[in-house]
Amino acid sequence: MTPHTLLIAFPKGRLGDELVPKLAGTPLALDAEALRSRVLRIPTATPGVAALLLKGTDLPRYVAAGVASLGIVGSDTLDELDMDLLELADLGFGACRLSLCAQAGLTLDDLRAKPHLRLATKFPKATEAWLTREGLTAELVPLSSSAELAPLLGLADAIVDLVQTGSTLKAHGLVETAVLGRSSARLVAARGAYLSEPARIRPLAELLIAALKPKA
Amino acid sequence: MPVRTPHFPDLLFGSAARLRRWEGALMGLLADHGYRELHPSLVLREAIPDGALRFFDGDDLVALRWDFTMALAGLLARGFPEPPARVAYAGAVFRRPVQPWEPVERFEVGCERIQPEGEFSTEADVELARLLMAIPGVLGLKSAILHLGNAALVRRPLEAEGLFSGLADEVVAALSRRAPHRVAQAMKGHPAAARVLAHAEALLSELDGPRTLEALKASPYAALLEEERDHMDRALKSLLPILPPNLELRVDLADVAGLDFYTGPTLRLWAPGAQQELAAGGRYDRLFPDLGRPWKAAGFCVRLSRLLDLAETRPDLFEQPS
Repeated sequence: MTPHTLLIAFPKGRLGDELVPKLAGTPLALDAEALRSRVLRIPTATPGVAALLLKGTDLPRYVAAGVASLGIVGSDTLDELDMDLLELADLGFGACRLSLCAQAGLTLDDLRAKPHLRLATKFPKATEAWLTREGLTAELVPLSSSAELAPLLGLADAIVDLVQTGSTLKAHGLVETAVLGRSSARLVAARGAYLSEPARIRPLAELLIAALKPKA
Repeated sequence: MPVRTPHFPDLLFGSAARLRRWEGALMGLLADHGYRELHPSLVLREAIPDGALRFFDGDDLVALRWDFTMALAGLLARGFPEPPARVAYAGAVFRRPVQPWEPVERFEVGCERIQPEGEFSTEADVELARLLMAIPGVLGLKSAILHLGNAALVRRPLEAEGLFSGLADEVVAALSRRAPHRVAQAMKGHPAAARVLAHAEALLSELDGPRTLEALKASPYAALLEEERDHMDRALKSLLPILPPNLELRVDLADVAGLDFYTGPTLRLWAPGAQQELAAGGRYDRLFPDLGRPWKAAGFCVRLSRLLDLAETRPDLFEQPS
């Protein structure tokens, strides 16, 4: 890898698990041996292009700072961080809902009626925006993982979290009481790289869209 | 969690010398073209904006100069019955950073072309573009890219549809991200949704190349924007034959940065591989009328702090001084 290797930031976790198989057989397929190791900088099938494997919440920073020229990240993370980067496409996969979830039997009206509502979430910005739209106030309990535990253990009355199939919620006796928004994977680009070197970045962006976006 | 630690960089020997050299060379270039220096006070006299750096002087709240264009506008509107046609400036501005890595103190050199109401502005816009085209050579950049845009391409259709603040801001934010899907999301259910989305797609369809201006023909607002298209076409025809070597000229129809300020043509200078624009400007004809003066104005600012960073991190982008 040279200092001029172009870096694409891919997310670890749920989105990454969906993404890696979709890239197999394309010019941006990730090196299988490197993937099995613990390295976080992975060569691709295209010389001069490498992938960075990053936590979703860190990924937009690497792209906004221009360290990675392109990246793939959930729109929920983008909305939460509001970084200065370009969002070239909605790739469609990784679709999920950002939902208010509470223990089975509790309705939205029950939660509205609480004099001191406590909501645990990894998405404080989206939650605040929803509370404002609904004319509600609540104490936000910021969490970075396992939010489902919060209502069960009394840390909060409900949670705002991503729901894909609902199986994790069901396993914890929780149900969706309101949908705040929807999220899916987005192709993002560093503003500087895209605007100053479009001939270098655009073909790779088009490759990613062709490989990852479902055909209409 | 964004980092908000103020970043006050000290310039050590090489960078300090480079700043002195660049400031001198750029002000020399501007002086050669008839631009006379004005140096507004470092302490702001106008209403204090949110982004300014504020201090208490005894019981008085004061703020430091945060933007030369605004400081100069105040100075000119207060003290000049007729505007000087060409002014230049150099120095530091102090501004709270939006991105965590941006410094609070930033060095700038820039210029403004001011005209009385009624005077035709195309020549002034081309004059500024020609000056900006000379700047990569003065700074020793091996290559650069000049983007031509026009704020009216977005502003006028939104105004024609009666879209102001709120929804208009969402559309502009989506265009700034170059995300037509976000435009569709923002406009969902609005009677103008199909038109605005088609316009956004036309603006975003091409970033450079000969077909860029042609892309505007696909917009539902093509007739409304005929004047802007002709203006850009004339500017391209004036500038392309005199393009210096190692400078590319590109049209960027979706340039919406500073849309609440710019009213017409915009200019942005990039270097290949640089993460931020190195100079930016455009026409802002509403500034002086808002201060009670019927003058039109355009200008640009060279962001020397970004250039100093670039010279440290990417010296390969610069000619080495002999």
